[in-house]
Amino acid sequence: MMVEVDHLTKCYPRKKAVDDVSFAVDSGEIVGFLGPNGAGKTTTMRMLSGYIPASGGSIRIAGIDVLRDSLAARRKIGYLPENVPLYNEMRVDEFLRFKAHLKGVPPRQCRKHVERVKELCGLTREGRRIIGHLSKGFRQRVGLADALLHSPELLILDEPTIGLDPSQIRSVRELIKELAKHHTIILSTHILPEVEITCQRVLIIHEGRIAASDTPANLRAAIQGGTRIVAELHAPREKAGPLLEQLPHVRGVKSDQREAWTHYELECATDVDLRQNVFELAVREGWKLRELSIKKTSLEDAFIRLTTGEPESREPSMDSYEV
Amino acid sequence: MRAFYALWKKELQGYFLSPIAYVVLMFFLLLMGVSLWFLVDMLSGGMMAGGVMQTLFGESIFFWVAMLIAIPVITMRLLAEEVKLGTMEGLLTAPVAEHTVVLAKYAGALSFFVCMWLPTAAYGFIIRYFDPDATVDIGPMFTAYLGTLVIGACYVALGVLASSLTRNQVVAAVMCFALVGISFFAGFIPYISANPSVRHVAAYFSPVIHMMDFSRGVVDTRPLILYLTTTAALLFAAIQVVESGKWK
Repeated sequence: MMVEVDHLTKCYPRKKAVDDVSFAVDSGEIVGFLGPNGAGKTTTMRMLSGYIPASGGSIRIAGIDVLRDSLAARRKIGYLPENVPLYNEMRVDEFLRFKAHLKGVPPRQCRKHVERVKELCGLTREGRRIIGHLSKGFRQRVGLADALLHSPELLILDEPTIGLDPSQIRSVRELIKELAKHHTIILSTHILPEVEITCQRVLIIHEGRIAASDTPANLRAAIQGGTRIVAELHAPREKAGPLLEQLPHVRGVKSDQREAWTHYELECATDVDLRQNVFELAVREGWKLRELSIKKTSLEDAFIRLTTGEPESREPSMDSYEV
Repeated sequence: MRAFYALWKKELQGYFLSPIAYVVLMFFLLLMGVSLWFLVDMLSGGMMAGGVMQTLFGESIFFWVAMLIAIPVITMRLLAEEVKLGTMEGLLTAPVAEHTVVLAKYAGALSFFVCMWLPTAAYGFIIRYFDPDATVDIGPMFTAYLGTLVIGACYVALGVLASSLTRNQVVAAVMCFALVGISFFAGFIPYISANPSVRHVAAYFSPVIHMMDFSRGVVDTRPLILYLTTTAALLFAAIQVVESGKWK
């Protein structure tokens, strides 16, 4: 077990930022922390990295207690803080060499490790540049390179893609997937597709508590428990509605009149595709059909349900959603 | 130890990568140069009362102005800037103990303080060269620098503590300036107090009197111990402040 978090609590004077959180992360897993801003993600990650102590509970990294044996635990962790703090007046190479010395990389291997992380993060040509002159995307890479310097077993990345443009986001995601081959990764984000793409497991955290913990696919299934068929028919409403409801596995039908056409949404059980049945029905009854599609609930719906308690989700979509 | 060295080097380099080092060095050498000019003027006029080192160090207002201004400027950014930029998070999540961070930063600042004084060592030799009668003794020269080092070490530690207490560099500088200023002006109590017992006690704590002794070639262990223990206490306090910052 790489990370064991047991009844973790963090109290601030007027607020309980993290409230009795327990979870465990296996070696080699990529776990995503998902939650709206202020949910307690950063606080939890800071406690994991040993930057702030917990008010209660315990954290063990590779069996080492973060509070009792802080230095030994820190050697196992590579941490990328939220705002990627860097020394602006230093050059990239200078900064990485400084951090390598600081993290106890043997002096003879410093150059090798610096070159390794620069190559991993696509910084080979930026070594001579002054950090203060770098763009946000490159700063993020320097931060990531810093976190990787001492080949830590566990990587803690706090919002690694925040403030990046779409192509940079894609390259950082690919980098994270690449890193997952050798490291255990905990990352936080409030962008939903990110966890769906990169993580094997999602912890949805809300108001300091864990609202859900599962694979992205299972979460989606558990919340909605099904798929939706959308069909637009030119048919008499009083007849089409009951007939659609009689199709197998259909739990409910919603309809919406759009001039001569009617927009139907069929709620069905998981993993059934009724498109063919709807089409056959339309042919049999001689209805006209101008749209027929299937929609799966996205993690976004799960997220909104868990964090706002909203009973019914809006249009499911795969667009990035920021709270 | 390697982490200490890396941090010390980064800190000392940091001075020379920013304009601070050059501004401080320039004005410091300007002040000391003026001080030297006054000294040469007095020597050529035959108006010397005490020794050369007394005029340059112990009794010189230039010496104290330089200390009062240079030390807050070189110490203000040490910890305050790290907290403000958030780089403290990077330092304290690396496998480095808090006391290593504070002590390495202190060592960096003190090294810069020494670098600042090094060029002035030439003054004594210049005067010796032009005045073969040797008005300058090597002994007092050595002890004057020893005094400067221990008093400077103590004030730099004070600056580190001030810098650990705030995330704002200006606040840190003002705090350090005020405390060094109080310590300096309290050094005159032995001269101005009406109460003989106050005069007696204050003399033990007067950096002005200590510096006069050092520049006369007198090495008293009492002020040495006073400054070294005060330095240790101040650094201990600064380490506690940094550690407690995590618990907020």
